[in-house]
Amino acid sequence: MCFVVDLIEIMEGMEKIIRLENIDYLYHETISALSDITLDIYRGEQFAIIGANGTGKTTLLQIMNGLIFPSSGKLFFKGNEVMKETLRDKGFLRFFRERVGYVFQDSDAQLFCSTVLDELLYGPLQLKISKEEALERAFEIMKMLNLEHLKERPTYMLSGGEKKRVAIGSVLTMNPEVLLLDEPTNDLDPRTQVFLVELLLALNEAGKTIVFATHDLELVSELADRVAVLSENHRLVRIDSTETILSDQDLLLEVNLIHEHVHRHGKIVHRHLHFHPLPHKHED
Amino acid sequence: MRERIPSFLFQSPSSDTFRLEGRSLRIPFLEKGLNHLAGMVRTIYSQWDISLREGIFQKTDARIKVFIFPFFLVIVSLRKEISSEILIALFILSLMWFSRLPLLQLYKKILFLSLIFGFLIALPSALNLFNDGEILLPLFDLPRSYLFWIYRVPDRIGLTREGLYGVVILTLRVMNSISLTFLILYTTPFPQIIRALKVFKVPDSLLITLFLSYKYLFIFTKSVEEIHLAKKSRLLREIPSHGARRWIAERIAFLVRRTRGKAEEVFKAMVSRGFSDSIQLPETEKLKSRDWITGVCLLLIGCVLLWI
Repeated sequence: MCFVVDLIEIMEGMEKIIRLENIDYLYHETISALSDITLDIYRGEQFAIIGANGTGKTTLLQIMNGLIFPSSGKLFFKGNEVMKETLRDKGFLRFFRERVGYVFQDSDAQLFCSTVLDELLYGPLQLKISKEEALERAFEIMKMLNLEHLKERPTYMLSGGEKKRVAIGSVLTMNPEVLLLDEPTNDLDPRTQVFLVELLLALNEAGKTIVFATHDLELVSELADRVAVLSENHRLVRIDSTETILSDQDLLLEVNLIHEHVHRHGKIVHRHLHFHPLPHKHED
Repeated sequence: MRERIPSFLFQSPSSDTFRLEGRSLRIPFLEKGLNHLAGMVRTIYSQWDISLREGIFQKTDARIKVFIFPFFLVIVSLRKEISSEILIALFILSLMWFSRLPLLQLYKKILFLSLIFGFLIALPSALNLFNDGEILLPLFDLPRSYLFWIYRVPDRIGLTREGLYGVVILTLRVMNSISLTFLILYTTPFPQIIRALKVFKVPDSLLITLFLSYKYLFIFTKSVEEIHLAKKSRLLREIPSHGARRWIAERIAFLVRRTRGKAEEVFKAMVSRGFSDSIQLPETEKLKSRDWITGVCLLLIGCVLLWI
């Protein structure tokens, strides 16, 4: 409880970087993907959006990145409204895109240049950074992400983990203030997952705001300061500190993020709510 | 890890303000095409949604519809009177009405397509350049008539009564054919149409190929849409046309690779479930009495429309 009060006080002193107001989104003008979402994200925080499959996490992130536009409601970035019309202006487009980076769930869709190096250079060259500086950035990022030996390789010849690292690198070379990541640990092996968590923590320490969508509660416990929970009817159920959300088993059960798990310990069949960070007792 | 973070990532942008340039970003034609592709999927979705509504034609078995459809197309093509074509148009309209289809939205499309593929294509034939006839609307006069190859250019050129009659008939035929197609498509989910084609003894292998292709269309367009969004998320300025073309070419290559990979996966999945060299689709249910009655009624109405 004390932690929650502290967190609220800290938030009050921080700058709102992204604000969503009463966002609704309809797919094909009929299916509701998001309903009445209002939330604030503060500069420098690590914010998780959690929910079961199909709750609208990806849609919400894509709205935050101005890739799709809500059916109703407003999106603000640093107090400026982001909408189709404002993003048409080259000045605002550059202001917004160089500050907000998006890492797609499907790295294959995101990587569209011929080689790893081209991929890392694409962003900085778009920003009209000199070729020398762009190359310097690309090589520094490759060094950080252990991609140097892959620089000339076509992106389709990379493994899943390598693709994810290139996808993150391609966004980082633009040095965005906000990183939006969609299911960042999906399909990654445990070692790459650990690497990714460490990387995101370090980037946050470097001042980046990290917003990620996931249903992986372990990732949330390791990475997030605050969590927004989406329900299966596409509404925002609660925003709170990670500790508060993860200790509310009823809420997690209600939004289908944990489930009752039956398994065997020796000769005893054992039943409990399943979510690894939650401690549970084995009854005799 | 922290010591490995490059120094430039610690830098913040120099300012939190921006200058409006007042100039819009020009989206290349090729990229607009991608958006239209995504729009196409939205159309397919709304078609699926409508085909599941409670309506008179939706309740009818797809086999009856697939059988009746060519029969009515023949009737539409055989009738030579404007009044008969109008009667057929009214009949189709009433079926659409009872099937609770969005009439305004559909007829906008139907009329547009009829205008292009019926009226505009047939319009030149209304001139007395191709067929003689009674001139109703003279357009211009020449000093004398000319002979050119097999054509005779008369001294007075205009729209003839017979020509205009032909144009109207052709336009109405096109309109009725399109209306019938829309009626079937908007009241029958595509998988049911595919199964109903068994009535005409279309081979199962062809049917399953058609069905898989249709299913893949959704996966394909989703990939295309994601690619488009991925580029949009890093797009800060205009890309020259040659750059856009190169990007599209690379993405097409990527999609071909992905499609091939998906085809191999589907094939493996089929093999693992016992596929050898022939495909057996599940037997379809027997027609209900309600479907028989609808079929017979439609046949009778068709015969009436043919002979009156």
